[in-house]
Amino acid sequence: MVIADDRIAPTPTKGGSNVSRIRFDKSIVGLVPFFLFLGYFLLYPIAAIVSASLHDNRHHLTLSLYHNLFFGNYRDAFIGSFKLAFYSMLVAGIAGAIICWAVVKTNGVVRTITSSAAGVLANTGGVPLAFMFIAAFGQEGLITKLLLKVFHWDLYAGSFDLYNFWGILLVYCFFQIPLMVIIFTPALENLKIEWVEANESLGGTKFQYFRHVLIPVLLPSFFSACLLLFASAFSAFATAAAMSNGTIPLVPLLIGNLVNGNVIPSEANQGDALAMGMVIVSLVVIAGYLLLLRLTRKR
Amino acid sequence: MKRQFTWFDRAIIAVTAFFFLAPLIAAAEYSARGYGNKGHTLSNYVWIVHEQGFWPALLTSMRISILTVVLVMVLMVPTVVYIQLGGRKYRRLVEILCLLPIVIPVVSLAIGAQVAMPKFMQSTSYELCCFYVVVAMPYVYRTLDIGLQSVALTTLVEASQSLGASWTNTLTLVIIPAIRSSTMGALFITFALSLGEYTLAILLHFHTFPTWATNVSQENLYGSIAISVTTLGGAWILLILIAFAPRLKALFESKKERAI
Repeated sequence: MVIADDRIAPTPTKGGSNVSRIRFDKSIVGLVPFFLFLGYFLLYPIAAIVSASLHDNRHHLTLSLYHNLFFGNYRDAFIGSFKLAFYSMLVAGIAGAIICWAVVKTNGVVRTITSSAAGVLANTGGVPLAFMFIAAFGQEGLITKLLLKVFHWDLYAGSFDLYNFWGILLVYCFFQIPLMVIIFTPALENLKIEWVEANESLGGTKFQYFRHVLIPVLLPSFFSACLLLFASAFSAFATAAAMSNGTIPLVPLLIGNLVNGNVIPSEANQGDALAMGMVIVSLVVIAGYLLLLRLTRKR
Repeated sequence: MKRQFTWFDRAIIAVTAFFFLAPLIAAAEYSARGYGNKGHTLSNYVWIVHEQGFWPALLTSMRISILTVVLVMVLMVPTVVYIQLGGRKYRRLVEILCLLPIVIPVVSLAIGAQVAMPKFMQSTSYELCCFYVVVAMPYVYRTLDIGLQSVALTTLVEASQSLGASWTNTLTLVIIPAIRSSTMGALFITFALSLGEYTLAILLHFHTFPTWATNVSQENLYGSIAISVTTLGGAWILLILIAFAPRLKALFESKKERAI
């Protein structure tokens, strides 16, 4: 660790900084371990797939692997992932925002229990969540049987199946909604009680408060939270892999199949192009998120 | 801000609680079913411990998690302190770099690791630690940064150094104790994340606890549901305990004072 090394000679500080009395090297040297680590374990692997995705199996420079992404099952997978991410963003975004509305009013024990539950579900999700749902909503599941017995509602009568698109969407909601609660709560906590009072003293109705105060204030942070939800669902792998055995066309599952050796030699680098496709989609989404965040901060 | 708690809010909380608790309860019931759906036993929970590969998988995951926590702390605490003290002009750059692991899908990172890492790295499970550090980095940076902003870091460092402490001593004896709660928070996030991580482990062909749990689901579905209930419930209870720990401690101490 360079910064813990007191043999570094202090460099003269320019411009009379208030930390000038501390013996401290102001050059970038203290950040070298951080940069080296991220460089080797994050930027280098990404650079490697950029390079691999631009070469065909005879090591010629080509864009054909990216061209392939627009056809056949690669195209279906991107559409599938996009659809899943979009629907789960809509459901989780709206449901999560409504839940946040109630959660910010709680305090003490209820608050601790909800926030810790949200933390567990949003982060450890994945595989355990998948099995939990098989137990609850599967053909033999407790909730499936309960719905049939009490409400005479056969969950499996329609197009629902835990292993098809709608089933996966249901499971995704169980980590997307908690994620929304975590991201969106700070925005609601920043609302000021004075605004309600101001609205009342000016003779505004509840609807006017909602229309002219809440919506304009919250909309940017709502949209940016939704974009994060989209990115999270788009790149989720564990839940889909544990549940669908690759029956639903999703990009992460396709990549997983390619990694596990089900590859035709002519498609050797196709996985890299798919991975880059995901990176590009995520970059676009996160760029939108940053833009919206900047707009919110300006207010 | 404090607003009034209406029946509408109560209804939302009740529906949400039902929506999220029902599957967990259903899974708990399912996992405790006996053979042929007769009666309830804990045999599936006993089965977990006796199943082949359970202990090796758990130990591997534990070892990787502990090493990840150590690595992330050794790397990130000095970095964040450095940025707060003297490297403020690099703050923006570091923040952007710390956003990258969130932006880049873990699946893509796994592919990159396969292409880029040398053979000697790919043959040991320590490769996973390094990538878990990368994945946990955004959360650790955020948590430590918030913690450090709430203490008078410059004053602490000046005081420590005027008493003749070296940088190592200042870091371990002054700064880390001053931000203990956020250090613990960062530590817990990293530990939980690396214990439950599935994507990198399976794509890089390592055998950790989550990949083991998925593998055995093919022979005993009840058992793997029992594993899920234990994982989710255990993590939740642990988090609640950590959140209540300061209050419990205060309660304990006030009782002790009253006793005196």
